[in-house]
Amino acid sequence: MMESVFILLLLSTFRLSLPLILASIGGYFSEKSGVAQIGLEAFLLVGAFSAATATYLSHSLLVGYMAAVLASLFFAQIFCLLVLKLKANSIVVGTGLNLLAIGLIPLMSKSIFDSTGSTPALIDINTTALLPIIVLAVVVLGSLYVSEKTLWGLQIKFAGEKQEALLAVGVSPAIRQWQAISFGALITGLGGAILSTYLASAYSPLMSAGRGYIALAAIIFAGWDLRKTILISLFFGFCEAIQIQAQSNSLIAAQIPAEFIQMTPYLMTLLALLFFRTKQQAPKELK
Amino acid sequence: MSLQRLAPWFGFLFGLALSCLLALFFNESPLHVLKIVTTSFLNSKFDFGLTLFYTTCFIFSGLAFSIPLRAGLFHIGAEGQLTISAVVAAVLGSILPTHNWFGILIIFVITALTGMLSALIIALFKYYRKAHEVVVAIMLNFIFAAISTWLTINHFQNPNSQNPETAMIADQFQIFKSDPLKIYFDQSPISLFFIVAVAICIFLYWLEPKILYFQVIKSYGANRQANQRFGFSEIKILATVMLLAGFFSAFIGLTEVMGNTYQYKLGFSPAYGFLGIAVALLARQHFLGLIASSFLVAILHKGASDLDLETQFLTRDFSQVLQALIIFSVAASYFFFSRKKIKVESEVTK
Repeated sequence: MMESVFILLLLSTFRLSLPLILASIGGYFSEKSGVAQIGLEAFLLVGAFSAATATYLSHSLLVGYMAAVLASLFFAQIFCLLVLKLKANSIVVGTGLNLLAIGLIPLMSKSIFDSTGSTPALIDINTTALLPIIVLAVVVLGSLYVSEKTLWGLQIKFAGEKQEALLAVGVSPAIRQWQAISFGALITGLGGAILSTYLASAYSPLMSAGRGYIALAAIIFAGWDLRKTILISLFFGFCEAIQIQAQSNSLIAAQIPAEFIQMTPYLMTLLALLFFRTKQQAPKELK
Repeated sequence: MSLQRLAPWFGFLFGLALSCLLALFFNESPLHVLKIVTTSFLNSKFDFGLTLFYTTCFIFSGLAFSIPLRAGLFHIGAEGQLTISAVVAAVLGSILPTHNWFGILIIFVITALTGMLSALIIALFKYYRKAHEVVVAIMLNFIFAAISTWLTINHFQNPNSQNPETAMIADQFQIFKSDPLKIYFDQSPISLFFIVAVAICIFLYWLEPKILYFQVIKSYGANRQANQRFGFSEIKILATVMLLAGFFSAFIGLTEVMGNTYQYKLGFSPAYGFLGIAVALLARQHFLGLIASSFLVAILHKGASDLDLETQFLTRDFSQVLQALIIFSVAASYFFFSRKKIKVESEVTK
């Protein structure tokens, strides 16, 4: 009995961590390049909606994933244009981007499906775990390699730490930031695609449920370290899995209210900020 | 008045035009959409009162954002503070045994203290742990939302309703039910809190140049190092602006619970805390400008919520699109106008 609960919890942790891991890796690249990213929620939402819509219309999961990438890249270009070119504040633009995604998606679903924010269920489409697992493996290994082993990864870090050093070698920090934000949005959009096509079988309103902010919490909790960010996202996924398990178990539900489990990632991040001086680990040019 | 000072208003008009043009993608006439969002507040006394209710909340959220911004703090935690304050006001209103003016005073004081203390956490993290205020505010927003949901559903749920909401506050505490504004506007959500909000803005506008400490706060925002060299206490400045911000956030909770629904309803706020950013940017943090910008944003918010009925494809969600595009245009407008200024200056120096 205990073993089956444990295996269920493990599998559930893995499933629920998928969008979180991708969103936190996406946010990591933007933050590491020196641009504060609170628009992760928007990338997740547009990724989820466009993946569900494109998959439903084309009957192909691959097309859905590509649509998620394109949609989140488009949103990232709005963010980059405003923050990097027009010098608007990244927090203000990030907040606006979240509002835009929340408002625009129901309008689009109304005009495409005549629904109030959801897409039709993906019934005939084979949504196996294979594609999400491949995506996760490629993204995790790829981003670790890019971040730690390539010149581009190093330059992204310099854009966030000391921009003069980049300028001295003839590289534009703004271009590296543009690339980092776009790359991050692309990965986060894939997280959104997994949310609507693997964790669920349709897009439902506000289905990211604050995962963009949890991903940001994971980055900060991890002290802007990519490996730790991935591990902490797994832990936050575990918290979500426990919460779902607790809801189905009336004994546990009576002992620990779901709201307290829901707030664990945020509370833990605050405790991490309280007990470890993570400010010193934050990119110096982070604005 | 220089063009640079008018930059956010040009940004506002551009954002509004862009939003209306966006309506073309949804097979709606931009002019029809513009007409609805800008004139629907005049449909009836009730609609006008509703718009003034939104104005009240936007003034408070604009104040909660613009005062910390004077000290260089980006305060996006108003949403959490107004939520927890609203719950506290509703709970106190339903459990306090003293049903008189003293009870009302207790509700006001404890609710304001709740907002202030919840905002103070951000200042303490900022000063003692050097944590970024935006990060702490985001975390606190979720924590306060979870606590509010837990309190509402598990302890103070309205027994007469299936919806997640607290019980109604005692009848004796519903003093704004019969206030002159509410009666004049056909029992719309507006209450005397509107007068309070406007009076606070006028008072702060009058007070700002007279109190040296406001200048100290501004100088801290402009140049932290210089401010420290003059020996002004950093924690005192951070605590002051955040306590004030929390105080004004709490007033949104009070406006809702004491002046509108007389209870706390889960998710009552259409992101007032975040929309305060648009309001404050539009007003360039000017206290009188806040009244005008709040009224404008309220008109659009009210108008957009009527799109469900007035158009075939657009829904009230258009309000968020409108606000997002206005935030973008206002935030970007400074670039165009300051760049123009720099160009002109460089031409002159040539």
